[in-house]
Amino acid sequence: MSSSAGASRPGPIGRRLPGWARPLDAERRGSGSLRRAEATIVILFGVLLAVATVNDLVQQTHVNHRLAADLLTWRTLTGHDYVNLDIEQDVKSYTTRDVICGNVSPGAPGERAQICLRLTGPVIEGKRAVSGGYYLPPKLTDAYRDRYACFGSAASAGLCGLTSQPAGAPPAPALKTGVP
Amino acid sequence: MSLGLVAERPRKPGGEATSAAAQRRAKLLAGAFSLLMLAGTCEIVIDASVGHSPLVPKSPSIAKWLGLIGERLGYRVFLIALLVMIGSYAGILLLAANRRVQAISTRWAIALIAVLELIVFIGPILLSTDVFSYIAYARMGVVHGVNPYIDGPHSIFGDPVYKYVGSDWRKVATAYGPIYTLLTYPLAALGVTGALWGAKTQALLASAGTLALTWRCARMRDIDPKLALLIVGANPLYFIYGLGGAHNDLIMTLLMMGGVVLALAGREASAGAAIVVGGLVKATAIVPLPFMILSRRRLAPILGAALAALFGALLALAVFGIHGVDVISALNRDAGFVSTDSFPTEIAHLFGKPGVFPVDHDLLKAALVMIVLYLMWRTWRGYDWVSASGWTLLAIAVTSTWLLAWYTLWTLPLAAVSRDRRLLVATFAVQALFVIHQTSPLLVPVS
Repeated sequence: MSSSAGASRPGPIGRRLPGWARPLDAERRGSGSLRRAEATIVILFGVLLAVATVNDLVQQTHVNHRLAADLLTWRTLTGHDYVNLDIEQDVKSYTTRDVICGNVSPGAPGERAQICLRLTGPVIEGKRAVSGGYYLPPKLTDAYRDRYACFGSAASAGLCGLTSQPAGAPPAPALKTGVP
Repeated sequence: MSLGLVAERPRKPGGEATSAAAQRRAKLLAGAFSLLMLAGTCEIVIDASVGHSPLVPKSPSIAKWLGLIGERLGYRVFLIALLVMIGSYAGILLLAANRRVQAISTRWAIALIAVLELIVFIGPILLSTDVFSYIAYARMGVVHGVNPYIDGPHSIFGDPVYKYVGSDWRKVATAYGPIYTLLTYPLAALGVTGALWGAKTQALLASAGTLALTWRCARMRDIDPKLALLIVGANPLYFIYGLGGAHNDLIMTLLMMGGVVLALAGREASAGAAIVVGGLVKATAIVPLPFMILSRRRLAPILGAALAALFGALLALAVFGIHGVDVISALNRDAGFVSTDSFPTEIAHLFGKPGVFPVDHDLLKAALVMIVLYLMWRTWRGYDWVSASGWTLLAIAVTSTWLLAWYTLWTLPLAAVSRDRRLLVATFAVQALFVIHQTSPLLVPVS
């Protein structure tokens, strides 16, 4: 911001305006207090943005921490080291309950029957507790009507729409709950 | 040390030996920082050439030969390279701003920027699918006879470019100005790969032009042109995100800076016209116009702008019909988009809300209008109109619920030539916060 003398060049419009409203070619000298006020507002707003950014980063870090633990838990419990797993994280209501689904046998993501695990609680040694789970037929998204063979918390909450496993589906054993 | 506006201090007697040593040290540092920037850029480009990365959009293999020596680009490597480059960029700017040591010559600065840009140019498209939307809109109009202002790329789902268009944009008609759409039309006949190279070339030329105009503008305003050049050209977000994605924002800034230079040269009618043509590439470029008019208080920029707007409207009407002229509805539609990186979303999270709501959009628009009115008043009362334009562009980026890295670049050339150094600091702060927000994969890797 230039602090040179505010040489006024009032044209036909400027001449009719009061002094405080006249157009200027450059800022008047002594506009330091205005400049300080502007800088203060910009700095305060910058601090708000910085706090919001760091807060978001911390939240995202917690979510990632949970995500990494969920993946490791699923891989440990199922014994499959698959990369493409489908995770639904509850990041809005802070329940820490996530559902993670993956194939029961090798194949493209979702192309085989899938096992879904419900995970809750804190991260303990890089893993989280499995509270229950269920199975899904191939090529279907996670919906009540398609779930079968519920176990643990999923069984007690009645999350399965199918009472028996579909014909031809691979074995669907109940997996151990708790931290694997 | 302040950026470029520091008067030389008187030398102490017998300080010449110290000064020579300091000069050598500064040159070594400048060399090291430049090498780090080159290494970071090579790392990103070479690894991105391998493909199969969430940071590299699905694309025709235009740089497969580079990928022979690379590995799949992961978030961790990308972020480390980006942070190293940002640190080196800061170091280079501090050295260039220090007038006591001539650590970076003009030739060095130009060569560094040219090499960085060429490395990115020969590599694959980075971090965005937007360029495929540009090509799809061009092919819709030229190859398929579909109006890109009415339909989205889904209307040409059999076209070879369709599979590369981002899934969020397949049903979205173009929001870009008619001049830009017409600029892409010659690319349509080149096939997808040819069009991709064409769009990359357009972006490279626009970037070079923007840098040349930034240099010229800085000289006209008695600001160190080398420093201004480095501020824009060596900015990692500028060449990795802006040029790497072949974004049309570079064409927009070229025309905007063209308008600024013309105004400073006293060619005000042409300046008004150039800025309007920029707005017909991407609407945001129109921002400097009201500030220029308020500052100049002459008829010429208004007439130039009006004539260019009339020409653009008639052209758009002739080629695209009434939808090509209806910029407002396209802007209103885009204003409703929400991205996780936007500051309003972050502030909503800070206050325990899951995201921004329709009422927040209205509040943000009201805040932006107040900021613009205040800056217009300040410009009327003698504040630098170039700086006021920069603050407005920064305010648009900060209040937008849809913030992308290249939106933080709109302000950069104006901040580099602004006499109000607060603008440059604020622009860097916004860019820094944007990058910090990306770093969670670095803190907790997920695989």
